[in-house]
Amino acid sequence: VNEQTLFTLMLRFGTLSFFAVGGGISILIPQIHHEVVQQYGWLDERSFAELLAVSQAAPGPNFLIVPLIGWRVAGWPGAFLTLAAFLIGPFVITSIAAHVLHNHDSPLLTRLRRAFRPVTSGLWIASGLVIALTVDRRPVELLATLGVCALSLAFDLNPVWLLLGAGVVGSLVG
Amino acid sequence: MEPPARLALVDLAVAFAQIGLNSVGGAAAPLRAVIVKQRKWLDEAEFAEIFGMCQALPGATGANMAVILGRRSGLLGSVVAVAALVTPSMLLAIAIAAFATHVAAHSARFAAGETAVAAGAAGLFIANGARLAWALWRAVGEGDRVYRAIRLAVIAAGVVLVVGFRLWIPAAVVVLVAASLLADRRTGAPK
Repeated sequence: VNEQTLFTLMLRFGTLSFFAVGGGISILIPQIHHEVVQQYGWLDERSFAELLAVSQAAPGPNFLIVPLIGWRVAGWPGAFLTLAAFLIGPFVITSIAAHVLHNHDSPLLTRLRRAFRPVTSGLWIASGLVIALTVDRRPVELLATLGVCALSLAFDLNPVWLLLGAGVVGSLVG
Repeated sequence: MEPPARLALVDLAVAFAQIGLNSVGGAAAPLRAVIVKQRKWLDEAEFAEIFGMCQALPGATGANMAVILGRRSGLLGSVVAVAALVTPSMLLAIAIAAFATHVAAHSARFAAGETAVAAGAAGLFIANGARLAWALWRAVGEGDRVYRAIRLAVIAAGVVLVVGFRLWIPAAVVVLVAASLLADRRTGAPK
């Protein structure tokens, strides 16, 4: 494994972890795509779409795409070290916050959390649109994006079933 | 609050592995099911408070929650809880990805299905954002027009800055959070 690549992976994902605000990393997916595909050329569009698909459809926390990219780019050391780099910053901050703030309901955190909500909302929508613009090359993919979005909004179904449904339709149309 | 009981490392590990493997589209439901219902490590009110705190801190909510619950058994407890949360599902995801790559190399249909799943994930992100926007719109009473308009403006700005101008997302996060905080302060955000 190339040490320089491992180091860069850890540095990039370590940095990004501080911007995962509002509870999830979905808002960072376009940034991850930009760095991994365009900036560093570690993955092609197809591999990125594959890892995104697996990370969303497999059971597990929503940041599984991080170790998956580490694994695809730099093998097992890549998986573990990229994930560790991604977790360490928030780990330290959360430990300090839990130590310092005896009252979990501190006004500062409440204010922050409230301010995050419209930010997360807008960036989630943006994230979906940017991914759709890169992944949707054919009518069937556009249909998958619109169909999953509409069904999720209308019926609030389990996302895994929606994604598997999209996969079945996609492979049938071929 | 009285100091909570220490948790055995093995209990932490099993509980958080279970939470990780049950996390689908967000960790909130399995976190609550295991920590409140099953293990009774927190009551509903404590859980809501700590969950809110974890959302306000950078990083994934589930991992932050693992850090905080793990602290009851010290630093090692936090490490064990986080490792248990992520490792089993990571190994499973890597196995699935390896299998998927193998099959996709031989079957164009499977590869097309994979791309459709990624396209579907984009639809899911849009739906999640839209659902939150709708909840924010409805949460504010009719009287708070200005506050409501500002929140919608923050949502719209996020979409325009990232999709339209391809602004570097960390910069977008900082700018939007600052604007949102400022707006909350100016308008005396209602609870």
